[in-house]
Amino acid sequence: MSHAIEIEGLRYRAGSFELKDVGLHVPTGSIYGFLGPNGSGKTTTMRLVLGLLRPLAGRIAVLGSRMPEDAPSILARVGYVPEQPHLDATLTVREIVTFQAAFYPTWDRAVAEDLLRRFELDEGKVFARLSKGQKAKLMILLALAQRGELLVLDEPTDGLDPVVRRDILTALLEYVSLRKATIFISSHLVHELERFCDWVAVMDDGRVVTEVPMEKLKQGTKRLVVSGAPPSIGPTPFVVLSREPANGAAERWIVGQWEPAMSSYFAGVGASLVDVIDLDLEDGFVELLRSFRTSRG
Amino acid sequence: MFRVILYGQWKWSRLIVVVGTIAAFALPIISVQGAAGADASPLHAQELLRTVQSWGSLYPVLAAALGLLVAIATWAADHRGRHVHALTLPLPRWRYVLLRFGAGATLLAGPILAVLVGALLATATATIPSGLQGYPIALALRFAVAVFVAYAVFFAISAGTARTAGIILGTMAALVLVQVLASLADIPLNLVDVLQVVILNWPGPLAVFTGRWMLVDV
Repeated sequence: MSHAIEIEGLRYRAGSFELKDVGLHVPTGSIYGFLGPNGSGKTTTMRLVLGLLRPLAGRIAVLGSRMPEDAPSILARVGYVPEQPHLDATLTVREIVTFQAAFYPTWDRAVAEDLLRRFELDEGKVFARLSKGQKAKLMILLALAQRGELLVLDEPTDGLDPVVRRDILTALLEYVSLRKATIFISSHLVHELERFCDWVAVMDDGRVVTEVPMEKLKQGTKRLVVSGAPPSIGPTPFVVLSREPANGAAERWIVGQWEPAMSSYFAGVGASLVDVIDLDLEDGFVELLRSFRTSRG
Repeated sequence: MFRVILYGQWKWSRLIVVVGTIAAFALPIISVQGAAGADASPLHAQELLRTVQSWGSLYPVLAAALGLLVAIATWAADHRGRHVHALTLPLPRWRYVLLRFGAGATLLAGPILAVLVGALLATATATIPSGLQGYPIALALRFAVAVFVAYAVFFAISAGTARTAGIILGTMAALVLVQVLASLADIPLNLVDVLQVVILNWPGPLAVFTGRWMLVDV
């Protein structure tokens, strides 16, 4: 499997914040969700991927080239939507589009014009006077019209109303299906990522907690209702993320890497499995973080 | 690329450039207005030189102000966006800096040309007493050098981060502190004079700003 982004042993420090041995592998052509609470290091990691920051150690390869050494040639093939709009606030929508087009040899004028029309952006309006949704749409327009092979999107729909979110996600999905591009997207909206991501990574406190295919995370994370379980258990074939004592009643366990065949484990320890409940991505995400934080003390 | 960068910078700095161009055009004309239609006596020649000299002190001030304001305007949008847009453009950083510098320098050509045109017009229309000569091209060239020196210095400072500005200000504060402490301790140290000699006297980097700026001279 080839990777659009490959990160190994990445370390970075800014003040008291630190990225510690981050490793990520974004498969080419995938939509890769990047989850984590505020301040976990998602934006910093994305900035390192784009060469905006210099790592202390580690290796970053983007589209087969080294970052930051080959930054200009990589950036010509990458569309970026930052968390905060960063464009010149005094330029109009049309002037910003013209500005951007001058820097990208692959600029697709037809796509830009089409999105201007579909997003109903007022060409004569200065950037500072656009609404939050219009700014987000313009940022997406610029990223898509560059015809990048990789889109790095840092919470592109954060704080937007559902209609604008839908418009943006539709445009993104059309682009991916048409151009077979890779999307590396961070978001707080876990349910949104759940709908269309192929892979997901979870980050907390500067570390990668997990990196798995979305299906595996969804299928493998379960809430088990267990009765008669001994207080102390040995090694398990699945990962116990949390265990809620129940004062004699059935306990509730949150487990990862679960497979149905593992049900037989409980008979071996004198317990019985009463129920297996599916968790959505948000529950799985929360439990993963809770388990990660508990394990780190 | 240069065209779109130039357009953006024009949009932010057009007021500075237009006002600067008008001032640059008017300055040489005003400085010799007393010479128009006057007699060519030695008395008048002295008076004219005094007037030209007093107005001449405004050229380095205008050059420094233009350099400073255009340099600040050059980086203003990038600073506001924390340089994220600039750093994600697909070109080497040195090239982006060069494009920005070139665009600002191009905009400063307006005031420089205005000084040249104003000076040529002023010397052509004024009655210059015998023994004196007009130096419109030399004045315009000197103004151009001063503008570009000021622009380059402030461009470099503006390009820096808050940390860079802090280092510069800290160094200046340290020098002042050393000077004050030396004065209190009766140590014969005059850093201001030393700095003045190093920076403002030829071949110091800011020597172009000092001396007489004379449109009309002997």
